[in-house]
Amino acid sequence: MEFGILTKESGVILVNLIGDWYFNLLFCVILFFIGLYCLLSMRNLIKLLIGIEVIAKGITLALISASNARNCIFTGQSLVITFIVIEVCVVAVALAIIINIYRHTGSLDVKKLTKLKG
Amino acid sequence: MQELYLISLCALVIFSILAILLKDLLKAALSLMAASVFLAVIFFFMKAYYAGVFEVSVVAGLITVLFVSTIGLTKGEADVFESKLPTIIFPLFFIWFIIIDILIMWVLLSKFPPLHKGIPETGSFGEVFWQKRTFDLVAQIGIIFAGVFSVLALFRKKDKNG
Amino acid sequence: MVSLFIIIPFVLAAVLPLIEKISKKFLPDLLTNLAMLFLLIYSMTFGYQIVVSNTGIRQLQWFNQQLNVVFALDGFSLFMLFAIYLLSFGVTLFSIDYMEHYGSKGIFYALFMIMVGGMSGLVLATDLFTIYVFLEVAAISSYGLVAYGLKHDELEASFKYLMLSAVATAFLLLGITLLFGLRGSLKLGDIADIVSSPNLKFATGICTGFFIFGFGLKAALVPFHSWLPDAHPSAPAPISAMLSGLLIKVSGVYALTRIFLNVFGLTPALSTVLMYLGVISILVGAITALGQGDIKRMLAYSSISQVGYIILGFGAGTSFAIMGALFHILNHALAKGLLFLNSGSVEHATGTRELDKMGGLAKRMPITAATTVVGSLSVAGVPPLNGFWSKLFIIIGLLQAKAYGFAFIAVLASIITLWYYIIIQRRAFFGKLKETLKDVKEVPFWMAVSTIFIALVCIIIGIGFWAVIPKWITPAANILELGIRYAKLYLRI
Repeated sequence: MEFGILTKESGVILVNLIGDWYFNLLFCVILFFIGLYCLLSMRNLIKLLIGIEVIAKGITLALISASNARNCIFTGQSLVITFIVIEVCVVAVALAIIINIYRHTGSLDVKKLTKLKG
Repeated sequence: MQELYLISLCALVIFSILAILLKDLLKAALSLMAASVFLAVIFFFMKAYYAGVFEVSVVAGLITVLFVSTIGLTKGEADVFESKLPTIIFPLFFIWFIIIDILIMWVLLSKFPPLHKGIPETGSFGEVFWQKRTFDLVAQIGIIFAGVFSVLALFRKKDKNG
Repeated sequence: MVSLFIIIPFVLAAVLPLIEKISKKFLPDLLTNLAMLFLLIYSMTFGYQIVVSNTGIRQLQWFNQQLNVVFALDGFSLFMLFAIYLLSFGVTLFSIDYMEHYGSKGIFYALFMIMVGGMSGLVLATDLFTIYVFLEVAAISSYGLVAYGLKHDELEASFKYLMLSAVATAFLLLGITLLFGLRGSLKLGDIADIVSSPNLKFATGICTGFFIFGFGLKAALVPFHSWLPDAHPSAPAPISAMLSGLLIKVSGVYALTRIFLNVFGLTPALSTVLMYLGVISILVGAITALGQGDIKRMLAYSSISQVGYIILGFGAGTSFAIMGALFHILNHALAKGLLFLNSGSVEHATGTRELDKMGGLAKRMPITAATTVVGSLSVAGVPPLNGFWSKLFIIIGLLQAKAYGFAFIAVLASIITLWYYIIIQRRAFFGKLKETLKDVKEVPFWMAVSTIFIALVCIIIGIGFWAVIPKWITPAANILELGIRYAKLYLRI
């Protein structure tokens, strides 16, 4: 089983965790879980948006660690910069919708948004 | 160096947990900003300097400003009543999830082939960004237009019966 | 040049708000419709030339001071562009009169052009991440467009749509990151190289799961469909037509098909999964549509059902099934767009969307009634309209693949579809005219022109399908049947 980039030097096993992809992928999945937990259990609209932000952090961590492991940092950074621009625009539109919802109903509770039943 | 890297990762996770569990929205937005700063530190460790700078300036700067201004604009008399149950149960779920996830990933490690390091890239960051991913940049112009026009459409003045 | 497909929408979107300040009434409408007409004719003549001049597969590279933008305009992309511009032209004609309700037509047309530009870029891209970015362009503009009316229903629907779509694109990006890490490059041709190696089967399986979740939510497959019955009825009628007719097919079905048939290859396991998803969508959509009282909600559930037909056809994988699925993309786009536009006409005239409050409208609104009949019969699959031929091909393809149970369910759902469309016709248009609706008038000029135009196109394609299929559909079907070899040969630059 390969884990990390192990180098054996004078009887001591060193693990290079920064360049390891699977270790960072573990943290990416943890951030994903935290974000999904927020989306499933919180009721304030702005909290839901914070949950999506945490998921986006996990995705950027996964992208950069993948490009670090494959030794092509510049491509990875280009992808991350594009993704951050997308994330900013999505957050801006979502906040505009939230402000409009607040003007209509006067509260930020997602349980008040049950008119449509899907 | 390794220890600093591990501390940054743990701080990122801890501040993200704080961001979703804190009841006061302002403190939640500020802990999200702290998490962004630690993520930028992680980017610096992986030699992704431009991405780190972008992360600090845009996510920790611009998005936090957007959040704080929205929180200021929507302060109402009736605050949202969040039940305490998710906050109390969360550590349980979290530890259970970490244990199951580490087990699964340990088992799956044998099924994923090891990544071999590819050919290092030629040229500078500017050349790769502008020349190899130009189509993405054209699409980014579209994204910015879409975002700006959507916000304009959502905040427009209604004249007669719109 | 192929780049005109992307440049014209974006440039026009940039200048439209300024033009609106100069002349509110006349110029934005004129410019948008002219641009759509130009793009439609351009794709039919110039694009078709490119596609057939090089044995149906052609790749363009545009060098301008060492910038490197790669378009891949092949048969499948050209077919999708043709469908996009045909329906968009009808919708822009319709919104000349309809969007007077909402005001600020300059911003509306600008967002509309960005959505069309995003969809065009999606079908012309060869890079996984570029497909994702253009998908987001179309999605962000659709969030703004669904919430355009600024009433409570629309804001709630748009917010739910945004949340679910953000989660889906997060999973999508996780799949893209896995592929990027395993291969090192994001070009479709490079990825097609590695997916067949045996020690990557598990990783490819995980990526397939993520892609089905991500693209399946954009395509509104069951069980990821819960945003659609809220978002499509609440949007303004032209935008419902665009979303239901084009966006779920371009960002969902096109991307899914391009990646699964051309890059991953249609393995038996994947084929089974797609066919089951398709059949479940058909049944859930058809059965839930029976109990709805709101016209647009019923049409939204019907969309879920018809997209299930398309995925069933692609999943079956035989030549007739792929041809039928491609043809059904075009037919359903036109017919469902027509039906949503007509529901907008009915709402404009009577002020309501509930079927209970309508009745006997055919006497006062003959054009709307006639075009609704054409659209309903087309979706239900009645000869000689276009929907019949595409559903027939899908069923023949299923019989070719020896999937008799699926074919039976497809025929059964077709009968259920016909049943509920006849219900709409009888309750809304025929029967006694209700007292409250005594003085409704026929729709304004441009709305009538656009619905007649789309209905005529449906009839022409239905009667003349033997001319449409070899010219437009066969190049696209050939590309999809080539499978992985196509990506390895051509999508590599």
